Amino acid sequence: MTTVGVARDAFEVFGTMAVLLVTDPRAIGEARRIADRELALVDRACSRFREDSELMLLNAAAGVGPQTISPVFTDLLAAALRAARLTGGDVDPTCGRALTDLGYDRDFAQVRDAPPRLTGPVGPVPGWRRVHLDRAAHRVRLERGVQLDLGATAKAWASDRCAELIARRAGCGVLVSLGGDIAAAGPAPEDGWRVRVTDDHAAPASAPGQTVTVSSGGLATSSTTVRTWKVGGRQVHHIIDPATGEPARSCWRTVSVAAGSCTDANTASTAAIIRGPAAPDWLHDIGLPARLVRYDGSVETTAGWPRDDGPGTAA
Amino acid sequence: MYDRLLAARERDEGVRKVSRITWRAGLTGVVCSALIGVALTHHAESGAGHGQQSGAIVVPGQPPQPAKGSGQVTSGAS
Repeated sequence: MTTVGVARDAFEVFGTMAVLLVTDPRAIGEARRIADRELALVDRACSRFREDSELMLLNAAAGVGPQTISPVFTDLLAAALRAARLTGGDVDPTCGRALTDLGYDRDFAQVRDAPPRLTGPVGPVPGWRRVHLDRAAHRVRLERGVQLDLGATAKAWASDRCAELIARRAGCGVLVSLGGDIAAAGPAPEDGWRVRVTDDHAAPASAPGQTVTVSSGGLATSSTTVRTWKVGGRQVHHIIDPATGEPARSCWRTVSVAAGSCTDANTASTAAIIRGPAAPDWLHDIGLPARLVRYDGSVETTAGWPRDDGPGTAA
Repeated sequence: MYDRLLAARERDEGVRKVSRITWRAGLTGVVCSALIGVALTHHAESGAGHGQQSGAIVVPGQPPQPAKGSGQVTSGAS
């Protein structure tokens, strides 16, 4: 595998691990500077865990009237609404209240270490059609009761954004991984970027799974087995089914998808978890290569995803 | 009694009115076309960008290829 000349940087961001790979080692410093700047903009725009983020201010203004937002937040919100539209609402950014009601109202490490109590019955989310975005004017209005969470798309969008900017400005091939949401841009190494696909992005390199190569676009993985916590005596996770406002009850524990961008890959992998048994046919029909892992570790693939080299991680 | 001079003046005045109306209609058309053009250009620019703005989920240039060994990075949930 050709990795000669590839430089790497890794750092923590958004409560997870980021990795940068560039094909020109001289570009790694500039790549990191670009990533730091863009990720800071994304955090300022849509963090759910800082009171001064645009998202928190907008949530507080639900039902009030149109609010002016930054170009970055406009693009992030447009990406989230597009994901909702393309999945028929299965990936919906109005699940903020549902997550809060499940106790996920703080940085995840705090939620995991100090399990919350259920605050009340959870119901269907308000729905993305109650978010009114004027993209050209950078203005948005939330109807009363709508609370946004862009967790399903923001990290993937940030990976795409960083990869594009780094490839353009540094003039080399780049791979950006934000917590396992992977985007590649520019000329890839001769044999592609080598990616280990598994349940948890923080798993060791030897973790059971499958190794594949990608040359461009995005690869994302969604799982019900990571970012779990206990509330009211039951185990819950962060992938919300908009129809119920509850963590999705899926036949898949982990779904990995390759697409033209990381945002699209993550949109599809999240939707696949929620769609359950219907997911393989949907992914096949839209031509997305995917690897779906059941709770017993058996694997199903679609649309040209390479044959698996073994069972998925044991549950 | 038929006044040729008066008739000529009224004819000329009528021609001028028709001419003014024609010019105004034409000018209005040009202005409207320009405004529509600007609006469409703006709309196209605001929707431009990378594949994220496509009207459908974009498939990859090629599917992942099989490989052996460990990865340079890991794709998993976080």
